[in-house]
Amino acid sequence: MPAIAGPSSSPQKHVVGSRLEVTGGLRSAEVNTCRKRKLRSDSAAEVSSSTPVNSISTPMKWKSPRRCAVSIPKTSDEEIKEDSNGNLASPVISVVKNLDVCLDVESKWNPRDEEQMKAVKEALHVSKAPSTVVCREDEQRRVFEFVKGCMEQNKAGSLYICGCPGTGKSLSMEKVRQQAEDWAKQTGVPCLETVSVNCTSLTKSTDIFSKILGKNESGREANGSSPPLQQLQSLFSQKQQQSSSKMMLIIADEMDYLITRDRGVLHELFMLTTLPFSRCILIGVANAIDLADRFLPKLKSLNCKPLVVTFRAYSKEQILRILQERLVALPYVAFQSNALEICARKVSAASGDMRKALCVCRNALEILEIEARGSIDQEPQGPVPECQMVKMDHMLAALSKTFKSPVVDTIQSLPQHQQIIVCSAAKAFRGSKKDRTIAELNKLYLEICKSSTITPAGITEFTNMCTVLNDQGILKLSQARDDKLRRVSLRVDEADITFALKEIRFFRNCLL
Amino acid sequence: MATTTPRTKTFKSPAKTPTTNNIYRKSYQSPSLTPQTPQTITPLRRSARHVSRRIDLGNDPIDVPENESKEEMNLIRKRERAPPRKQSVDDVSESLKTPTKKTKVDSEVSFSPVSPNRREKRKNKSEEVKKTKTKKRVYYNRVEFDETGFEIGDDVYVKRREDANSDEEDPEIEDCKICFKSGGSDVMLECDDCLGGFHLKCLKPPLKDVPEGDWICQFCEVNKSGGGQSQTLVVPKPPEGKKLARTMREKLLSSDLWAARIEKLWKEVGDGVYWIRVRWYMIPEETVSGRQPHNLKRELYLTNDFADIEMDCVLRHCFVKCPKEFSKASNDGDDVFLCEYEYDVHWHSFKRLAELVDGDSDSDQEWNGRKEEEEIDDSDEEVEVEEDEESVVRGDSKGKRGLTSVKGGANSRKGRFFGLEKVGAKQIPEHVRCHKQTELEKAKATLLLATRPKSLPCRNREMEEITAFIKGSISDDQCLGRCMYIHGVPGTGKTISVLSVMKNLKAEVEAGNVNPYCFVEINGLKLASPENIYSVIYEALSGHRVGWKKALHSLNERFAEGKKIGKEDDKPCILLIDELDLLVTRNQSVLYNILDWPTKPNSKLIVLGIANTMDLPEKLLPRISSRMGIQRLCFGPYNHTQLQEIISTRLNGIDAFEKTAIEFASRKVAAISGDARRALEICRRAAEVADHRLKTNKTAKSQLVIMGDVEAAIQEMFQAPHIQVMKSVSKLSKIFLTAMVHELYKTGMAETTFDRVATTVSSICLTNGEAFPGWDILLKIGCDLGECRIILCEPGEKHRLQKLQLNFPSDDVAFALKENKDLPWLANYL
Repeated sequence: MPAIAGPSSSPQKHVVGSRLEVTGGLRSAEVNTCRKRKLRSDSAAEVSSSTPVNSISTPMKWKSPRRCAVSIPKTSDEEIKEDSNGNLASPVISVVKNLDVCLDVESKWNPRDEEQMKAVKEALHVSKAPSTVVCREDEQRRVFEFVKGCMEQNKAGSLYICGCPGTGKSLSMEKVRQQAEDWAKQTGVPCLETVSVNCTSLTKSTDIFSKILGKNESGREANGSSPPLQQLQSLFSQKQQQSSSKMMLIIADEMDYLITRDRGVLHELFMLTTLPFSRCILIGVANAIDLADRFLPKLKSLNCKPLVVTFRAYSKEQILRILQERLVALPYVAFQSNALEICARKVSAASGDMRKALCVCRNALEILEIEARGSIDQEPQGPVPECQMVKMDHMLAALSKTFKSPVVDTIQSLPQHQQIIVCSAAKAFRGSKKDRTIAELNKLYLEICKSSTITPAGITEFTNMCTVLNDQGILKLSQARDDKLRRVSLRVDEADITFALKEIRFFRNCLL
Repeated sequence: MATTTPRTKTFKSPAKTPTTNNIYRKSYQSPSLTPQTPQTITPLRRSARHVSRRIDLGNDPIDVPENESKEEMNLIRKRERAPPRKQSVDDVSESLKTPTKKTKVDSEVSFSPVSPNRREKRKNKSEEVKKTKTKKRVYYNRVEFDETGFEIGDDVYVKRREDANSDEEDPEIEDCKICFKSGGSDVMLECDDCLGGFHLKCLKPPLKDVPEGDWICQFCEVNKSGGGQSQTLVVPKPPEGKKLARTMREKLLSSDLWAARIEKLWKEVGDGVYWIRVRWYMIPEETVSGRQPHNLKRELYLTNDFADIEMDCVLRHCFVKCPKEFSKASNDGDDVFLCEYEYDVHWHSFKRLAELVDGDSDSDQEWNGRKEEEEIDDSDEEVEVEEDEESVVRGDSKGKRGLTSVKGGANSRKGRFFGLEKVGAKQIPEHVRCHKQTELEKAKATLLLATRPKSLPCRNREMEEITAFIKGSISDDQCLGRCMYIHGVPGTGKTISVLSVMKNLKAEVEAGNVNPYCFVEINGLKLASPENIYSVIYEALSGHRVGWKKALHSLNERFAEGKKIGKEDDKPCILLIDELDLLVTRNQSVLYNILDWPTKPNSKLIVLGIANTMDLPEKLLPRISSRMGIQRLCFGPYNHTQLQEIISTRLNGIDAFEKTAIEFASRKVAAISGDARRALEICRRAAEVADHRLKTNKTAKSQLVIMGDVEAAIQEMFQAPHIQVMKSVSKLSKIFLTAMVHELYKTGMAETTFDRVATTVSSICLTNGEAFPGWDILLKIGCDLGECRIILCEPGEKHRLQKLQLNFPSDDVAFALKENKDLPWLANYL
């Protein structure tokens, strides 16, 4: 393993190194870092298990034998060894071959081809669910085991799934539902009814019971007299004849929308699983990690506290794997691997939100598209192969669009009087004081105006400007009965203001 | 109200009036052999009932079945002339054989209604009436005149000016606006905006078929949208030597012709001249309110103004239809007009026509059948109307009143002669035609915020980005759903940019470059509650109005599960939500739903959210900001060069502002808020100020808006009104304020008590020889000032130890009170 490829080293370094060795080689970077190689082989194994044919065109083909074989089916292992045994002999040859393939691939990929572009965009879109959910096997397995266990024992149970947004909760639940249905069919367990509800789409939180009942009701006579909740309760508290003892899987997405003031609905929902003849498996999905503890302390005493499965935010390796997984189905390569990696690193550092990562990739792709179109305009013939793929700079542009803080730019583009207000606010909050009223701030503003002989704006105008600054996220105004008594606090760092305004001579004196 | 299909111009017009040229030929030159039947002679003053009965008797030759009249409405005049009708024609010719002097006078009157000495003419005419009382008239239901049949209820063009003859050789075939050739076999398409005709093949790109829906020609399109496109289309100039021919429709709409509805047809037995009583139509420009933006190009108003005119003035038929029929009449040629409202020429009021126009399309039988009662009803009404009217024109209507009394109630309508000369007498409102707008007025009009600018300068980059975003989303077949969040301070052109992008896109859809989509625009402020957005979206998609719960259910099915609603099934849907932050509910479920749909497969939903707040996504729940995506677009405040450009593009071609004045206004606004609305308002106000200044001071040499006007406008807008209030308060209040400022200055505190102020007031009064008003009055003054919010009083009881505080900086008070003639000594304490 080369020394430079420590885990902490920046991806740019890899790029530089790889370019020195093999210019233009797409996959050359992976020779340098075996960490990467391992990564890649990981995902490639996944791929080859799902799509074993025509794997030459996919870059994932190139992998070392040292991949982690934990979750890989054995067949793929053999297959890959066969495929790549020539390359294993000497890394140099592998690089050369690698290059050939890359060139081959590159010739196929053309950002000006709208069909290809469309396919890539579609692959990167949020709505397109991949056939297998990678990096969530463990969680999926746990949930599925739970469901299976419940179904085998024919008893009720509840499960709570939490995790940050964009970590694949809903997607995994959908997969689990399919798995469970398939499994139920295979094993001949009395078939499973599934109800998946997104709680935001309910008009009223109690509607969830009628929704559950609505599925359950089919075939049974509807007694519309009693409310749905009571019907459900009576349904689960009496022993039913064998014919109707189906298990029911309820998946409630965004469960925290069910929280009412007295938490009645949520409570009743979980209580359904405790009834003596209940046959429902409840899976709740939400963001809060402690929803059950916070809102349903009673459940603990009743000993029906739901199991909790946590979906952690994606790490950079996982994001990279998912991105590659999505792109690998395409017969061409649109992204440089290090571009994907920097995207993964940035996103995982910021939030670990997969949706963001996909969005950034798409943005980068669009930047490339515009670039390619521009180059067509300049020189209609002779496509430049370098600009064909999404490279680091495209990705960096897309990332900076998303993650850069616009504060400095915003302050610099403010109208002058608003800049004076920001300046006076910076002065006002220099000390330990955290907030002031608008009247106090106005006084400071007037001082600055007077000292530089600028006609100050009136108090109403001043308040308006403060509101605008509040909208732009520079100041924070609190609500108050009287306009003049509203508290103001600064929401950006003073250093940012100083930096932004130091270009203007006028403010240099003010800020001192 | 708008037509659903653009009308195709057909080339029937020549067929319509095969004898256009000889319409003015005096037809009494052809003698006829058929003698007048004695039955048809009626005394002049017969009751309407009598007349109509006589018509019903069938002595009158015309007996038009329903379908025939329909046919006539459609302008297909292929019918063989029936023998009885011939008789009537012959009547005409025979009776016109010997024109008397009298008719000549009459015809003069009717020919030149706008002639200056109309007052005299009117007198003439009323005399005429008295004389004609003795004459006999024959009333007809239908008259064949110059080979064209005219019926009661028909709409006709009426000559307006004597000199209208000059451009008489009207080509009735309209020329194409691009190639300037008429006709051919090619179909012509009419622009819904400028009413110009275009050959399908002359268009760029050429169209194969007549498109569905409204169609606007490329020139109007450019004029309207203007916008980010730099392209300018020059309206092609007609080839040299070719006179730009005007059709009758154009003349009517530029008020060189009149349109009228025939109410009655008769022949003067004595001289055989054919007369008609007409009810005038008016073009919107002639009404008191002028043309309104909602007026369609082909809109006319039915007036309650009647006139008797000679048949000679009638040019030919036109077709005035009610909106329903108008939208159906897609292929009826050029002479179709729309009339939806009745206009009262005396009271200047508008009334929607209910059944009046429908009557036109009814069969003549029905018309006749109803006529009897109608006549009576009408006459009652008319009497009332007349009284109303007389109260208005009390001065000169003596003769008329006399007449009315003579006539008696039953058919008073006949004797009334406010008609042609009246319309002639009616000046076309100043502001419409005669008055040429001054540059300042034009400037004021274009600076109005409601006026949509022709182009949007300084927002090209943003508009390109929006266009790329939308196009990128809808051009795919799958139409992947996406969201974009647009933010920026008020008055930076967010909404208008999006709308103009959508307009350009619409044009591209028509050209076929972009797939069709449906566009839903929602303003968060206009929703009664955030949840109502579901029903608004659902209504826009399906056309049905349902409650929001049901709408949410259906929309969920549509977007999340891919079921189809309405006919807009697989078109992509672009949702523009203005003021997005108002949709934030307590648990934010509305925003969640709307932003969750685009992430679903097959949703084909694109959401554009607009709000002022930069950090709205961060303020929301993380799950929503995750779904909102990362597409953001910021509209920064304008700087002064941009504002200057915006104002000068608006004022393009109008020379009303000094350059420095514009620059001053834009710099001032840019320094404070960068709000384009503000800048426009200031300029408009400055134009008003300048207008006033120039009107009062005629000697001013420059007619432009100068810096001073802008300064005044800015003062009005930016300076708080409190200075004005303080300047105009009572004397004691001024003393009170002065004492308070003095007291505050002395103590160096921010607030003081009423007690201390009162002491200061008394000492000030003592030194300056003013009478001390007493504590009660002083307390009352303090309360008054507190209610004006000039000073802030401690809430609670009004007592002596109440704490007082100035609401404005003491400098402002000093500034307001310094220059005071009554109390010059106040300045010493300030």
